[in-house]
Amino acid sequence: MTIKYLDKYPKNLAKSLWVMKPVWTVFKLFGKTVTHRSMTILYPYEKEWIPENYRGRPGLRFDKCVGCGMCVRMCPTACIKLIEVDDDAGKKVMRPQVNVGRCAMCGYCAEYCPVDAMTVTPEYELAEYTRYDLLYGPRRLNYEGTTEGMEVHLELTLPSDIENGNPERRVRLADLDKPELTDSKCIGCKKCAKVCPVGAVKMVEKGVNDKGKPIVRPEFDNAKCIGCSNCIIDCPKNALELKEVL
Amino acid sequence: MKMAYSSILDWIDFFKDPMDSPYYPFDTYNLAYDIGFKLHEILGGTIAWLINLLFPGNGVSEWLMCDYVSTIMALLIFMILIFLVAFVSVLIVLWLERKLLGRMMDRRGTMIGMKGFLQCVADGLKTFMKENTIPKKVDKMTYMWCVSLIVGLSVLVACMVPLSSRWYVVDYQTGLLIIMAFFALAPFLILVSGWAQNNKYSLIGGMRAAELMISYEVPMLILICTTALAAGSFNIGDIVYYQNEHLWFFIPQILGFIVFFFCATAEAERVPFDIAEAEAELVEGWQTEYAGMKWGLIMLADYLRGTVSCGMVVILYLGGWTLPFIGDGPIPEIVFLLKAYFVFFLMVLLRAAMARVRTDQILNIGWKVFMPLSVINLAIVIVLKTGGLI
Repeated sequence: MTIKYLDKYPKNLAKSLWVMKPVWTVFKLFGKTVTHRSMTILYPYEKEWIPENYRGRPGLRFDKCVGCGMCVRMCPTACIKLIEVDDDAGKKVMRPQVNVGRCAMCGYCAEYCPVDAMTVTPEYELAEYTRYDLLYGPRRLNYEGTTEGMEVHLELTLPSDIENGNPERRVRLADLDKPELTDSKCIGCKKCAKVCPVGAVKMVEKGVNDKGKPIVRPEFDNAKCIGCSNCIIDCPKNALELKEVL
Repeated sequence: MKMAYSSILDWIDFFKDPMDSPYYPFDTYNLAYDIGFKLHEILGGTIAWLINLLFPGNGVSEWLMCDYVSTIMALLIFMILIFLVAFVSVLIVLWLERKLLGRMMDRRGTMIGMKGFLQCVADGLKTFMKENTIPKKVDKMTYMWCVSLIVGLSVLVACMVPLSSRWYVVDYQTGLLIIMAFFALAPFLILVSGWAQNNKYSLIGGMRAAELMISYEVPMLILICTTALAAGSFNIGDIVYYQNEHLWFFIPQILGFIVFFFCATAEAERVPFDIAEAEAELVEGWQTEYAGMKWGLIMLADYLRGTVSCGMVVILYLGGWTLPFIGDGPIPEIVFLLKAYFVFFLMVLLRAAMARVRTDQILNIGWKVFMPLSVINLAIVIVLKTGGLI
């Protein structure tokens, strides 16, 4: 009977001193936090350092934007919309408007912007009193002090380039994908020339048809093209397609 | 016949010794009473002088400054003073706990005003503003009486702990026993109040408080008897001065010191022995149905008991208000409080490091570890005492 109770004692009494281990750990941490500052920061008064390319709300450089709508297409939360605004000369232009309330701050708009007009900004305190106030128009999206580092480039090197011994980074979207015409489908409606935001499409006459009317076909200026794929989307006969550079 | 105009200095005798009064209520010099007496001398003397200016030669002024009235007024101020000191030291303990715990968890702790000290004031105001809710199904009389008694007993015990040989309420020959008796009453009331609340969490909390009590109370009483045996007295002053003359008791009784420290932690129901409250398991333990200011007062009472626990450790093992080679010193009260805060720091360290003891382990710890250790400690003390070493 007595032996049975004695069995419940710890066999090795020194082992029961394990309780001192956490105490010692805590005491060491206490010494460290008394002499140095603690991990936590006083948020509204102190702020953590954030890098230049921190993905806060999107920013827009109004004059650089061409209104191609790439950001609208790429936005995963569909928070960007093209609206008509007056530019500095009083001309009507299309520019993106961002609903920051829906924005996921992923930075895809800045990544895919062909002219680097969209940037990321280190601004993340975006609380407003109404949901209407969360709509950032093209002018309001402007961020003072935009630097080079806030542009996000989509840079990649193709495997074929490495094989060819030319492993350069491809920075422009137009270097990756190029619009290509299927000649039999084209009806010469000139729509592609109208929607191109940079005027890279030129309609060229290529002879006359049976009825004596001129045949016009688009011709792409690869130096001007930004690869926004507006012409492909708007083509009524699906005569254009985006051909990937392999 | 008095003069028509009397100087204020005729009414205030600042250097009057309170011990000369025939109604002096203590045997020895009492600093708190002296301060109360002098305060009454200043305030009452000014009032008496003003009344005398308006109505020269009246009886009220004379009555206000007579020995009998000044003793009563001094006693009133003395009570307020004793309570205030206990209260402020508890607020400091609260601040210490929050700040130290924050540092030990690598955060900042409270930040509101005066390095976070005013957080207790903010908390007090907040609980004061709350609605006084009483659940419908509780046994109302027991429910209210228990919380009043717990808070009242805690305040009483906190005021009864002497801070020095000149800062005490009553200098009993059996002071240690009386303090421990009042101190041990609260777990019983916790059990009753857990029963009265008609709530499963409260009931479990109350039962656990009873379990905790039967596990730590026995070794604790053995240790108190050991200390009384070593010092030869139950009087707190005697125990402290015996330690000052010979040796602080924590050196010969290091086992007893460790066991008593854990028992005192359990007595104050602090982590790792807070199984009666057990926030993670029971909602708020036995305090679940108490809301608003009642809860705030219970919290205050908890910390009062924590302070008293620290004070008891200091009195029994760390030489009370005395310092080696110096003795009493000019400010023994501050020395006592600083020692108590050091013990509280150890308690906070324990709280930050340890997990809660399981309910099925606590009886094993109390009866199979603490009790043999305290008996061994008693044997050591008997041997040393008969050998004349302490």
